[in-house]
This record gives sequence, C-alpha cells and structure tokens, in this order.
Amino acid sequence: MTSIANIATVARREFEVRARTRSFLLGTLLLVIGVLAIALLPVIVRVIDRQDATKVAVVVTAEDLTSDPVATLTQLLNTPTGTTPDPQAAPDYTVTRLEDVDAGRRQVIDGRYAALFAIDRAADGELSFTLYSNDTTGRSATLAWQAANSIAVADRLDRLGIAPGDQAGLFAPAQFGVAWPDPERTEPIGDTAALVGQDILAFGMTILIFMMIVMYGTWIAMSVVEEKSSRVMEVVLNAATPFQLMAGKVLGVGSVAFAQYAAVVLSGGLALLFQDAIAAAVLGEGGGASLPEGLSLGMLFAFGLYGVFGFLLYACLFAAAGSLVSRQEDVNTAVMPLTLLSGAGYMIALYASMGTFDIRAGWVILLSLVPFLAPFMMLSRIADGTVQPVEVVLSIVLLVAALGAALWVAARIYRAGVLLYGQRPGVRAVWNLMRSGI
Amino acid sequence: MTLSIDGLRKRFGEVQALDGVTFRVRPGEVFGFLGANGAGKTTTMRIVLGFLRADEGTVTWMDQPASAFPRRTWGYMPEERGLYLRMPVLEQLVYYASLYGVPRGKARRDALTWLARFRIAEYADRKAETLSKGNQQKVQYIATILHDPDVILMDEPFSGLDPVNVALLKSALFEMRERGKTVIFSTHQLDQAEELCDSVAIIDHGRIVTAGPTREVKRSTGHQVVRVATSTDGDIGWLRSLPHVTVTRPGNDYTEVRVDTGTDPQAVLRAALSHGGDVLRFEVADPSLEEVFVTRVGALDTEEHTLAGVAEGPA
Repeated sequence: MTSIANIATVARREFEVRARTRSFLLGTLLLVIGVLAIALLPVIVRVIDRQDATKVAVVVTAEDLTSDPVATLTQLLNTPTGTTPDPQAAPDYTVTRLEDVDAGRRQVIDGRYAALFAIDRAADGELSFTLYSNDTTGRSATLAWQAANSIAVADRLDRLGIAPGDQAGLFAPAQFGVAWPDPERTEPIGDTAALVGQDILAFGMTILIFMMIVMYGTWIAMSVVEEKSSRVMEVVLNAATPFQLMAGKVLGVGSVAFAQYAAVVLSGGLALLFQDAIAAAVLGEGGGASLPEGLSLGMLFAFGLYGVFGFLLYACLFAAAGSLVSRQEDVNTAVMPLTLLSGAGYMIALYASMGTFDIRAGWVILLSLVPFLAPFMMLSRIADGTVQPVEVVLSIVLLVAALGAALWVAARIYRAGVLLYGQRPGVRAVWNLMRSGI
Repeated sequence: MTLSIDGLRKRFGEVQALDGVTFRVRPGEVFGFLGANGAGKTTTMRIVLGFLRADEGTVTWMDQPASAFPRRTWGYMPEERGLYLRMPVLEQLVYYASLYGVPRGKARRDALTWLARFRIAEYADRKAETLSKGNQQKVQYIATILHDPDVILMDEPFSGLDPVNVALLKSALFEMRERGKTVIFSTHQLDQAEELCDSVAIIDHGRIVTAGPTREVKRSTGHQVVRVATSTDGDIGWLRSLPHVTVTRPGNDYTEVRVDTGTDPQAVLRAALSHGGDVLRFEVADPSLEEVFVTRVGALDTEEHTLAGVAEGPA
C-alpha cells in the first residue's frame, strides 16, 4: 500500500511541477494551433482560393463549331478528368466569350484576363488552338491543352457525322476490376482507395507513437538526471525506494505526455473530422462531419494499446538510462541505444508501408512480434489486412511480458545508477551493476 | 536496544571501502562518526539506511534488522545538499513528508512551524533557488526531521555553514536529543564532535579504529595531557629532557605535553618544582579527540585542524 501511495505521490509531483509551468502551457497551446492550422489547411486554401477565380477569355473564329465553347471550357477547366463536379463549389475558372483576338490579347496584358484562348480552323479543316498567356507552364495551361484535345476530338466526331448523344457513349469509362492472383485467396480484395487510406492512417499513428516515445522518453531521462545533478535524489531515496521513484516518475511524466498528446491529437482529429462542417460554416457550402477514410474503432483500439504499452516499455528504460549519468550533457549519449532501437522499428515500418520491403515477408512478420519493434510495426500490418488475430494477441502478450522484464531490469539499473556519480559506465559496468544490484 | 552495526564489509571494484565496520549507538545519544574523506563514513551510513547492500555484516535497531522498520523511522541529510531548485520551499517540504506517509495538512502545519523557528517563514512560497545558501541549509534540515524520525543520520552537517548557522544547528541537535531522538552525524571537524557527542567512533580506511563514549575514547590511548606554566617561561628545555614526556604544544601562556602510558603525570609537577621558579599552572587532562586521532591514525591537516586530505579514495 505504501508503495502505491508513494508512486502516486511521486507521480503527482512530477505532473504538477511540469503541467503548470508557463512554458508547458504555452508550448501545448502553440502545438494545438499548429496542428489545427495543418488540419484545416484545405479549408484555408479554399477560403483564399474562393476570392479569385481565374478569368479566361475565349475567341472563336472557327466557323460551324457545333458545341458551345464557353460551356465546354467552363466544364473542362473546373472539373479535370476523372473528378465529379461539385455543383455547390465556387468555380475555379470563369470563361467569357470575346469577339476580337487583338482586343482580347490587350486585356490579357492589362491583367483583366489570365489568358485568352483562341479557336480557329486551319486550312485542312482541323481546329487550331492558341493560348495567349504569360504563364504557359502552369496548371491552367495544362488544363487548356486537355480542353483543346477534347474539343478537337468532338469536332472530328461531328465532322464524321456522329451525333452528340452517341459521343457520350464513346467517352463512357471502361469496366475495370482487380482480383487476387492466387485463386485460393477468398478474402475480399477490398476497395483500393480504402486500403491506401488505412495504410496512410496506420503510418500516421506509427509516427505519433514514435515521436511520443523518443520525445517524452528523453524528457524522463533528463528529469532523472536533473534529480541526480541537484542531489535531491539522496534526499528522496531515504523516503522512497528506487522502484517507487522510477515508477512514479514514468507515470507522472507519462501523464503529462499523454495530456499534451491528447490535446494535440484530439484537436487535430476533431479538426479533420469536422473539416467539411467548418468549411460549410466558413464558405457557406453544404457538408457534414465524416470519418477519415480507413479509420475504424479496431484501429483506434490497437493504436491505444501499442501506444501505451510501447511508451511504458521504453519509458522505464529511458529512466534507467538517465540514472546512469549525472550531467545533462551526457543524457543524449545514454539514451542513444534506445533512440536507435525505436528508430530501427520505425524505419522498418516506414519501408514496409511504402512497399520497399514486402510487408508480408517472413522476417518482417517475425520482427513485428518483437516487443521493442511491435509498437511501430504492428499497426502497418493490421492496416495491410493480412495479420492474423492470434498474431496481434501474441504480440501484445509479448509486449506486456517484456514490460514486466524491463521494469525489473530498469529498477535494478536505477537502484545502482542513482548513487553513481562522475562515471560514465560502459555496457560491462551496467551488466555488473545489474547483477550485483549494489 | 541499540543501533548495532556488525562486521560490515563492502567492496567497490578494487577498493575495499568497508572492512569489518562494527560499532554501537545507544538510543537517545548524539553520536559522532569521525574519519577522513574516503574513510568509509558515507558508505556506512548508506548501508545503515538501506541504499546500499553490504557484502557482509548486519545492521540492527532495537534488536531487529534495520530494514524491518518503516522508512519514517529514519531521517537522513546527505553530505551533498539537494533541493528541487524550482519548487517552492513549503511545497517541497510537504512533498518529502508525504513520501514518509505524513498527511499533507499536518506536514504543512509542522513545516510552517519549523520555518518560523528558523526565521525563514517568509520564504515559504519562494522557489528554493532564490534562497541564500544558509537558508537552503535550514530548509534541508527541516526536510530531514519533518516526519519526526527516531534515528537521524547526517553526513557532514556542519560543512559549509557559517558560525551563526553552526550554532543554530548545534542547538537543534541538542533539542533532538532532549526529545529522545538518536542523532548520528559524521564529521571531520573533531572539535565539534568533542563538544556535541556522547559517543564517537573513529573510522580509517574502512576499519573502526576506536569507538565508545567520548570520554573513554579520549582515554583509550593511555596517554594523559599535562598543561603546565611556570614563572620561567620561555625555557622549556627541562620539559623536553623529562623521560616519557613529549612536548606537543609549546605556547606563551602554557605548554602542553603528552605523558606516556604508565608514567605518573605528577612527575611533571615534581620536575617543575625542582626546576625552580613558581608553578603558575598545572593541569592533568584527557587528550583531545584530535590527539587521539593523531595517535591512532596519523597526522592531520594542522592548518585547519581537520582530517581533510589524510586519506584518498571514494567516499
């Protein structure tokens, strides 16, 4: 009982001392603002975009053009190939018909129009297009070129005598499907877009876990060293056991970390979730809240489990590493092995989800069960959809077992390390410390 | 019914830090633990408090293993003072006490009382780093005794204190003794130990050289000290010629000599009388702890009358 009370007392101090500093509050506030800005970037871009639709002029000197070039251009410029038009969105381009090319060119020079699109008919009967613009390499030029092709093809079909109604049939999308190469595989192959979405999401979660472990882990190590260098350690060591001090510190700093992280992730998540609603409110358009593609309760739950256990596993080792040195300058050296280990897991997860490594390869599956790597690798595997439930359970069991072992090892190192001053112990010294426990 | 330290051995790599340390501290006494830097004082204290495990030997309090007692039994002031520099004074005192299980309300009231007694009540809500060194020492002392421990161990409590604070700490230690607490402090300032301690132990290179009630320790060498002054001062040749007598401190007002074991100090008086002139002063006394130390261990730093630098090694 006293043990738990002491752990709680230590954790409470760690939390209070950190959470109420001005730098922490300010830092968290800045982080939240930053995350909100990134999450709402599309809305912000649209707000800025809305103010200046690009004005394009068109002059048609070609005769007997059956289609209305203004309507065609407006449609083709605003809805490039493959996208469905949003009837309520403000158009990116407005197209105006002019009669005189020279007058139009002057107005482009004046800046009244961004570009002038001239349609003429050449001697061989083909349409010829000229784009008068100061910006001939940008997106507008590419779109204009695509529009020109479409108008030219429609015109050729016209001249071949194919009615506009039949033309629509010619341009209808082809039927397209995907299937497993292995006929034994029966699970649904899924919608490619949703899988890609889940991949990106899993990778985002992996980044969050990685950052949390390295950032706050180093924080824990530094706070241990602070206690050592200010020599408070010996004062509190008489009142509480090294294990209580370490556990309290990990939980206390951990709660601060979780609090800050929750504030950032929640505000970012909510902003993403209500992005459309916010856009609707700001821009006066329709749209409600929607979950990001691929986000499921299962993924969130896995994120929580791997995040919390992964953090605790690394955190107690970071505390032990911190206990081995007595000056802030040495903290980075002491935590280096842990930073490298977590970095390795993160890199493998990165390459596997980018497709550089085959995420279904045996060695990746094997490594993903290793407790120190599982928090970084399992989420990508779950998102890939090929992981067996028993593998998830096994990796969690191994992770919890490793956490127990790490607590034991870290407590022994901590116990010996906190009274160690002025030495920089190597691997062998740490091993001896652990065995003797001083 | 004592604090018994029995046969402690502790080795750090190549260094045998403790080599069979044995002594007893009676409840309710002020006990001085004397030795040079690196003699093994801090290591012994850390083992008594359970921070370190001895390779061999036992520590018992009231006939039970010291580790069997709750943490609040022990108060400890380490040699290197430490406070959370950016934490307010009162808040951290309450924190330390609550680690020992003292309810926060009681810890707060007691801490305020102590702060007022040490005349630093106005610093209660200031961060520790804003306090002067002397005031930080006072806070450190309050942190040591706020949870009302039965046994108080202090490592070099007087080092770095100015005379005012030395006097304050001395009176605080006497008060602890009056309250029935057992106080153990290490020091290399022998005059302070002589003034304060009911019992002492002298440690050298991990071994206890001598231990017991201060008076017995002082007599343990068998030597006696004679202070003598005659009207023919300035000529002490006659003293130097006496057998079994060594001049230890020639001085203007009197001369101090050491009389070897088995020699009657009165022989010095008879020699003084027969030498001629009036005997103005004649005093037989026990040797000081400093003399005991020199006899038992070796030379000490005569500049400061401390043991600093006698031995080298890890603390």
